[in-house]
Amino acid sequence: MPDPPHVRLVNDVAAQFQHRPPDEAAESIANHLRSFWDPRMRAALLAHVQAGGPGLDPLAVRAAGLLGTRTG
Amino acid sequence: MSLLKEPDFGTPARPGEATVALNVDGVPVTVPPGTSVLRAAKHAGIDIPKLCATDSMEAFGSCRLCVVEIDGAKGTPASCTTPVSDGMVVRTQTEKVARLRRGVMELYISDHPLDCLTCSANGDCELQDMAGVTGLREVRYGSGVDAGANHLDAPTDSSNPYFDFDASKCIVCSRCVRACDEVQGTLALTIDGRGFDSKVAAGADVPFMDSDCVSCGACVQACPTATLQEKSVVELGMPTRSVITTCAYCGVGCSFKAELRGDELVRMVPYKDGGANEGHSCVKGRFAFGYATHPDRVLEPMIRDSIADEWRAVSWDEAIGFTARRLREIQAEHGPGSIGGITSSRCTNEEVYVVQKMVRAAFGNNNVDTCARVCHSPTGYGLKQTFGTSAGTQDFRSVAEADVIVVIGANPTDGHPVFASRMKRRLREGAALIVIDPRRIDLVRTPHIEAAHHLALAPGTNVAVVNALAHVVVTEGLADTEFVAGRCEGFEEWAAFIAGPEHSPEAVAEITGVSAEELRAAARLYAGARNGAIYYGLGVTEHSQGSTMVMGMANLAMATGNIGRDGVGVNPLRGQNNVQGSCDMGSFPHELPGYRHVSDESVRDIYSQLWGVPIGEEPGLRIPNMFDAALDGSFRALYVQGEDIAQSDPNSRHVHAALAAMDLVVVQDLFLNETAKFAHVLLPGTSFLEKDGTFTNAERRINRVRPVMAARTGKQEWQIVAEIAQAMGYPMHYDSAAQIMDEVALTTPTFAGVSFAHLDEVGSVQWPCNDAAPDGTPIMHVDGFTRGRGRFVQTTYVPTRERSTRRFPLILTTGRILSQYNVGAQTRRTANVAWHPEDVLDLHPHDAEVRGINEGDTVTLSSRVGETSLRAVITDRMPVGVCYTTFHHPVTGANVVTTENSDWATNCPEYKVTAVQVSLAVAPTTRAAAADQVPVAGA
Amino acid sequence: MNVPTVNPARVFVPRDAAARSVGADEVAERIAAVAALAGREIELVRTGSRGMLWLEPLVEVATPGGRVGYGPVTPEAVDGLVAAGILDGADTGAPTSLGPVEDLPWMRRQQRLTFARVGVVDPRSADDHESYGGNAGLRAALDRSPDQVVEEVVTSGLRGRGGAGFPTGIKWRTVLGAQDELKFVCCNADEGDSGTFADRMLMEGDPFTLIEGMTIAAHAVGATEGAAVEGYVYIRSEYPDAIETMTAAIEAARARGWLGAGILGSALEFDLHVRVGAGAYICGEETSMLESLEGKRGTVRPKPPIPALAGLFGRPTVVNNVLSLAAVPWILANGGAAYARYGMGRSRGTSVFQLGGNIARGGIVETAFGITLRALVEDLGGGTGSGRPVRAIQVGGPLGSYLPVGQLDLPMDYEAFSEAGALLGHGGVVVFDDTVDMSLMARFAMRFCAEESCGKCTPCRVGAVRGVETIDRIRAGEEPTKNLLLLEDLCELMTDGSLCAMGGLTPMPVRSAVKHFAHDFGVTP
Repeated sequence: MPDPPHVRLVNDVAAQFQHRPPDEAAESIANHLRSFWDPRMRAALLAHVQAGGPGLDPLAVRAAGLLGTRTG
Repeated sequence: MSLLKEPDFGTPARPGEATVALNVDGVPVTVPPGTSVLRAAKHAGIDIPKLCATDSMEAFGSCRLCVVEIDGAKGTPASCTTPVSDGMVVRTQTEKVARLRRGVMELYISDHPLDCLTCSANGDCELQDMAGVTGLREVRYGSGVDAGANHLDAPTDSSNPYFDFDASKCIVCSRCVRACDEVQGTLALTIDGRGFDSKVAAGADVPFMDSDCVSCGACVQACPTATLQEKSVVELGMPTRSVITTCAYCGVGCSFKAELRGDELVRMVPYKDGGANEGHSCVKGRFAFGYATHPDRVLEPMIRDSIADEWRAVSWDEAIGFTARRLREIQAEHGPGSIGGITSSRCTNEEVYVVQKMVRAAFGNNNVDTCARVCHSPTGYGLKQTFGTSAGTQDFRSVAEADVIVVIGANPTDGHPVFASRMKRRLREGAALIVIDPRRIDLVRTPHIEAAHHLALAPGTNVAVVNALAHVVVTEGLADTEFVAGRCEGFEEWAAFIAGPEHSPEAVAEITGVSAEELRAAARLYAGARNGAIYYGLGVTEHSQGSTMVMGMANLAMATGNIGRDGVGVNPLRGQNNVQGSCDMGSFPHELPGYRHVSDESVRDIYSQLWGVPIGEEPGLRIPNMFDAALDGSFRALYVQGEDIAQSDPNSRHVHAALAAMDLVVVQDLFLNETAKFAHVLLPGTSFLEKDGTFTNAERRINRVRPVMAARTGKQEWQIVAEIAQAMGYPMHYDSAAQIMDEVALTTPTFAGVSFAHLDEVGSVQWPCNDAAPDGTPIMHVDGFTRGRGRFVQTTYVPTRERSTRRFPLILTTGRILSQYNVGAQTRRTANVAWHPEDVLDLHPHDAEVRGINEGDTVTLSSRVGETSLRAVITDRMPVGVCYTTFHHPVTGANVVTTENSDWATNCPEYKVTAVQVSLAVAPTTRAAAADQVPVAGA
Repeated sequence: MNVPTVNPARVFVPRDAAARSVGADEVAERIAAVAALAGREIELVRTGSRGMLWLEPLVEVATPGGRVGYGPVTPEAVDGLVAAGILDGADTGAPTSLGPVEDLPWMRRQQRLTFARVGVVDPRSADDHESYGGNAGLRAALDRSPDQVVEEVVTSGLRGRGGAGFPTGIKWRTVLGAQDELKFVCCNADEGDSGTFADRMLMEGDPFTLIEGMTIAAHAVGATEGAAVEGYVYIRSEYPDAIETMTAAIEAARARGWLGAGILGSALEFDLHVRVGAGAYICGEETSMLESLEGKRGTVRPKPPIPALAGLFGRPTVVNNVLSLAAVPWILANGGAAYARYGMGRSRGTSVFQLGGNIARGGIVETAFGITLRALVEDLGGGTGSGRPVRAIQVGGPLGSYLPVGQLDLPMDYEAFSEAGALLGHGGVVVFDDTVDMSLMARFAMRFCAEESCGKCTPCRVGAVRGVETIDRIRAGEEPTKNLLLLEDLCELMTDGSLCAMGGLTPMPVRSAVKHFAHDFGVTP
């Protein structure tokens, strides 16, 4: 079973920020998702995280957490 | 030769101030040093007879018609090869030169058919004109056989599908040969034989089609007689009217004169005053316009309730009403965000603008995207992040000032041939070339050009290579510290990052497959150039790190100070005629026109006030997201303007499933394309010959597209869109395309000075065009970057997840070929198929041998997502382990094998890297069954 | 007759192509064989030709009183001649026994400056070159600055021997003044004019002098002042012997340090390469030759730019004829003023005339300008070979004018010839007797142009063909007056309208034939 699109796509983004300090990386990823992702995709990601977040890059999980606080 | 004659100054302009004063027939004139007497005379308003001279090429001095007398000089020099000097007194009309000119014409006509009245060039023949101008009244030698030796029996070469070479009419002026050398740079033609036996020959005297000729038409354009003549002129006769317009093929955006008889297009002639092409053309723009009148064109709207049903031709009112009703029904059932649209880079700015407006204002969401998603969206992201705007930095002319040219992931001689000719001219003049491409593209070694370095990198390692180049610049002290300090930000951190040993050429040599010495030498060459220019294409963008690579190139250019003047820059070679424009017009789901983010309230206010509806502050769905959302059920209807997503987007199986899952697919196109198989509404579009609007090319040049003929469908495309919006209850009306551009100018600061009236007056402008730059902006970031200071971005190399495995040991990369264009919807419906009847798979001899594959064998190409079959071509142009194909023919289904991988930032598909296996097909495939025939209405 | 014995006997047999064509190789072989048989030790030296072609093969033997000659010698006659003591320089009493060669009237009439060593030295021997006074010019040049060398050549009054007669020193001054990091010195040895062979004989007879002249030119145009200078000798493919000899001499010169870096211990660096033409007459035209040297099809370039400023590969380039360059060493060794003491008017120094055609004694005559045509044809040449009266003389190659006997007293001088509507060209003198049909000769001129035209410019490409056809009509008696008028119009067009001298000069023989021999065209003058 391949990863759902939001997982694959956020992992692609997270891969680019592995070399940055985790806080900064998470913020950059979250900013990217805010700027370029349709809200339904962000919602799907959040739902995925709340459901345990299988297959997600740890940085992606952190970034999703930031999204959650901002978008409520 | 052409109907509407631009003035011909005989020899090229010379740069510099007009400082040399001379007198021609009593008229004083001042011209730059080095100007020919012939050209100076033209500036003085005096036409000296000429045949072998034309201002697109250097003087040749062969016809001897332009002889003049110069006070104090011996004899009667040819004015084309004689440079002016201060105080020179020239007499162009004396008894002596008149006698000589008549003598020359007498010789020409003694070996020329006297069939002017039935000649295809009658009325458009410089030889005929010169016979008149020189007052030739008698050919005392007799003519043809009466004179003696002659060439009147010389055969006609009709091998080219678009033009004939009638050798019996040739006057051996060498204009065709020189055009092929100097203008096109292919060097396919030569003069064979000597003396009276001299004749124009293609290659080693073979038919044109068997030679290196690329059918660009430069020779036809240069021919002063009927010798090289368009077949269409031979068949139809001389055109009677001419309309200046813009080519609808690639992002070069050549200006053409469309020449017609009544409503029948006879030929397309490149326009000398066109800023992008300056009188040159390629085989597509020059000749491949026949698709516009191809019987496959759909001219009536069609609808159907289900894709299992037959199409039903309906009235415009019914089609528009049906579309609007279904869209509203779906929104009512599934929510406002359940529908969206895709704009087309093939359409005009005005047509694109109204589609994105329809989505944002009538659909009430930001679910609009454009086909640039799958080509240059990383350019948009990367250049915006670093420079502040999504655009190439230079005009095309700038390449003439470059000293080192870096071509990365682009194949200009096939993809952007007219710009390639400019580039090749500069390379022949001595500029150094660095090619970064897995394939040995033609440019690596072509007549009089050889790349200083060809970095044949492994597909997918662009970022590692650009980082290594930057590493050398920084660690060897080659950076332009003054430029960086004065113009940029973030350099210190970036330099510390890039100086890391993991970026050194030695560290990346193994993964990139490029030796450290070669990487270092290339970096030193580029950094050491007076002017270094980067040109790139989809080989940069269509990767999982496409956006990163764009930023990597921007970093490199900034670090070496190669931004903000002639001869430098970072320049995307745009694939389609209006990629730049469709992006400019606000086609991305996160950006309003002019690259302004939807989250910016002040920008939203402009539109919400003008359009009378609120604008969403959240980005909408991108094309791949639309497909994903269609499959999960949240996205149900798609309006597709002129893009064949079913053929051109990756992982066809996935795309087809998504399209099949939708409740409504509306296709606006010329043809029943692959996507139309999944559509419920077909709204027939107009060809570029019918459109009124503008295209914006890769150098940000806004060119007018003028209607050459009435819309064959009865409706302009922007009208269709406006009427759908109206039918959905949103008031949208324009009286003309010009009004749409006026709205763009009103709302978009970079377009503030643009209007059809202004364009008609000045020809074209390059944006930004506004009060600060009323004449437009050929070179960007001259004094400062659009975003203020240029920003260095750290670009970590992250390998693509796509990698060769034991099951899929080869890497497939894709591209395009000169004669065909994109999905081939147009070019496949022209005689261009003579050059490329099918897509083939290029394979290195080693990879072929180990698989038992011979040239021409049918092979199966498979990836983890699909498989297709095509014929193999074995060539050492490919590196071992990499194969290559094009996607011009739907039957090939190249995108059946490409994957869902995409650029991390923009989701631009990773077309350039797919792990595949190639094997000998067991049995011939049933290609015929899948033949390139699409059902027509009612069929 | 007592002849002192010289041991080993030094015997000289030309290896010149003209001598070989009449059996010089066989004669040389036979002499060696007969001497060996007789147990007589000899040193057989293969030289160039003295230029007395009617005496070839001319065998010379060194004696204390100078070299004595025997000629023409056939291989069959060798045994008898050796038996008669020629290896000791004996006078055989036969007409072929010529006595001291330098005392022959033909030789005494000449001033051999350029050709001084031709026929004398072994052309492949660098030692010979030195011992016969070679490199004196080069040494003198290296003691001077480039400016001074150029001025010496200007002072000499040397003009281009290829035909155009442009002052060589002025051309060099232009190249010296042109600022560039790379310059070229090109020797035009594409000697294509019918009736000319002096370039060939010099290259086959004394190649080191040409090398020396080119090396001096390299110095003169700035090779020691920052510019790299490369040299090319462009030799027509029809001259295999010259190609071989030049190539061998260049290698020998390199081995001696006369080419390459640090020539003769100076700072001068210069090297030289032979390039072989492909049979096109037009490549004797300097710009076509440059195109050919660049590897392109040999067609004419428009001028300007002149090659001195933008020549080979666009660089400043000296293009000189073999004879011009070979005259330079003498000028530097003896001074420009000494050279200028020879000659008349603005034609200074000596010129190498080549007598041929229907002539009793053909060959090379190097003499000061000013000698009359009559002296060359009658005194030196001995009149026609057929013994019939001379009717016409063509001077200056196939594009030169035909002169009637009434003009035999013209002095050999650029300006005098120009005034007479003729040209000196490369110094070829071709004699015709009274059986010649001058309309055929005019036709030949047009035919030659049609054959050899590069095809670039219209007056030459089409005009020459129409010229042949028009002359054919005149010869057939078709409206001769009207067609002669047309021919004259065509000649004007070709003269004033052609791109280069090929088409531009073709009317010279045509017009002169019509003018002086109208009767042959069926009209009365």
